[in-house]
Amino acid sequence: MGRVLFPQNVADAMKGGWLFLLCVLMLLLLVTSTAAIGAETAEQAQAIPVPNPSADLWREVRQRDGIVVGKTQVAGVDSGALINPYGETWRNFRMQQLIPYSGYLLVGMLLLLLLFFAIRGKVKVNAGMSDKKLFRYSLYERMIHWFIASVFLFLALTGLILLFGRSLLIPWVGQELFSLLASASKEGHNLFGPVFVVALLLIFIRFVRRNIYQRGDLTWLLKGGGIIGKGHVPSNFFNMGEKSMFWLLVLLGIVIIGSGLILVFPLFGQTRVTMELAHLSHAITTLLMILVIMGHIYIGSVGMEGALDGMTTGYCDLNWAREHHAQWAERCEQEGQVVSEAEVSRLRGESSGGHIPPAGAQESGQ
Amino acid sequence: MIGQLIDGPLWYFSLAVFCLGVLFRFFTILRAGLKPDLAIPRAGGAAGALRNLFTRFVPRRDVATRGRLTLVAGYLFHLGLFALLFFARPHVDFYAERITGFDWPALPYWAFIISAEIAFIGLLLLWLHRLLHPVTRLLSTADDHIGTGLVFLVMLTGCLALAQSFEPLRLLHLFLAELLLIYFPFSSLMHTFTFVFSRGYTGAIMGRKGVNA
Repeated sequence: MGRVLFPQNVADAMKGGWLFLLCVLMLLLLVTSTAAIGAETAEQAQAIPVPNPSADLWREVRQRDGIVVGKTQVAGVDSGALINPYGETWRNFRMQQLIPYSGYLLVGMLLLLLLFFAIRGKVKVNAGMSDKKLFRYSLYERMIHWFIASVFLFLALTGLILLFGRSLLIPWVGQELFSLLASASKEGHNLFGPVFVVALLLIFIRFVRRNIYQRGDLTWLLKGGGIIGKGHVPSNFFNMGEKSMFWLLVLLGIVIIGSGLILVFPLFGQTRVTMELAHLSHAITTLLMILVIMGHIYIGSVGMEGALDGMTTGYCDLNWAREHHAQWAERCEQEGQVVSEAEVSRLRGESSGGHIPPAGAQESGQ
Repeated sequence: MIGQLIDGPLWYFSLAVFCLGVLFRFFTILRAGLKPDLAIPRAGGAAGALRNLFTRFVPRRDVATRGRLTLVAGYLFHLGLFALLFFARPHVDFYAERITGFDWPALPYWAFIISAEIAFIGLLLLWLHRLLHPVTRLLSTADDHIGTGLVFLVMLTGCLALAQSFEPLRLLHLFLAELLLIYFPFSSLMHTFTFVFSRGYTGAIMGRKGVNA
């Protein structure tokens, strides 16, 4: 049989060393397979739940209502608590509610603004842009506005990386690069947080007087800022919407700052529960602020013609002021504060002559 | 590979460019000389130069009132940056290891962070002033913005690397610092040193004329 199927040399080899080698290989294969099966069986055997004598104890500790604080020689906040059951509640809320719903809200707001723009388009100045201007924001006011804007954008970006990074960025950049990015974001966020405190304080001190509610603000609100009914609703330097945004941002800002300071300086005896609550309130209020600021950026950029000029040049168009801040524009006109576009260009050093503004006007931006 | 380049040859190269560039700028300034003053001096020039050098740290009252914001922001930035540059623990360790061979007392961590905060507040406000003020906007050149931008990026990457846990962040900070060192001698950032010359020159001229300027 062998002679038929195999050449002579192969048959001879099989009779000798080759046959032996083949047997060894088969044996090895068998042993390895058996070992693997044995290991698998052993794993299956290990997977059989063996009651841990202390498991019931720890489960009992964890499932109690509230934090049970015992006695310990270890000095420190929370050192007497074996398990903080609220930690799991906080973690679940963050992962299952906060992150997904925050994402839906941000994307929803973006879509809403896109939809609004698609339907409404850019709000034009009905009378058209004039060649007359009104001085609206001083140099200092524009500086602190862009100061808080740049700090806020940095904080929002780094905060969003920390909140959504694990879900959104790891699939794109990988764990290693994300860990680097997250560390950088955390350090940057912590460092710029106190800078935001200074910025908000400067904004509050400077703009608070003009944001106190006045007679006529309610009318503006009832007419939806002109959306309900026909014609423009007169308002003062700031309208009801702007004033409400100011106060909302101040109130949200206070919560954001307070919770942020609790998180960034864990030196004052705050417990883990306090930190967890601070984290959640920080995230929720910041999310609200980001949503409001998205609307603010929309109106200031593509949403309304002439709205950004005041914050970039210091001057706004007279027709824009008449249509959106009629009471203020009227008062300015009565006081003779209207300046021509050519005069504004001259003051800003943009005219062909390149005249330098008078010394008194330079620092104030007038 | 890139890390070794940043940590080694590029560091020494940038340091050499910085030192030689600054010396070259000093040399060109001193070589320019002074116009001979043929008038009979009413007082010594040296006293005027010294007086002007130090009194100009405190601005005149009218300037201080009109330019209060830039004055405050300027001091915040420069003092904060000075403290960061020479008294932050990571920097002290770096200088001791790479340049001096000895260290000196560093700021505590909280003071280091406050220095960074005030330096950032000052720098951002000054940069915004440069961009928004009609006069400084016209006077500013690309060099001013590149210099400010580089200083800002070096500070920012330094603060992002504060955890000292990731080598790439430290290398990014060092790389930008090296770019700054190379750019420094050929830019308006040289005012770090040349303010002494300009104040001294003006003070000496005024001193000789007997003017208390």
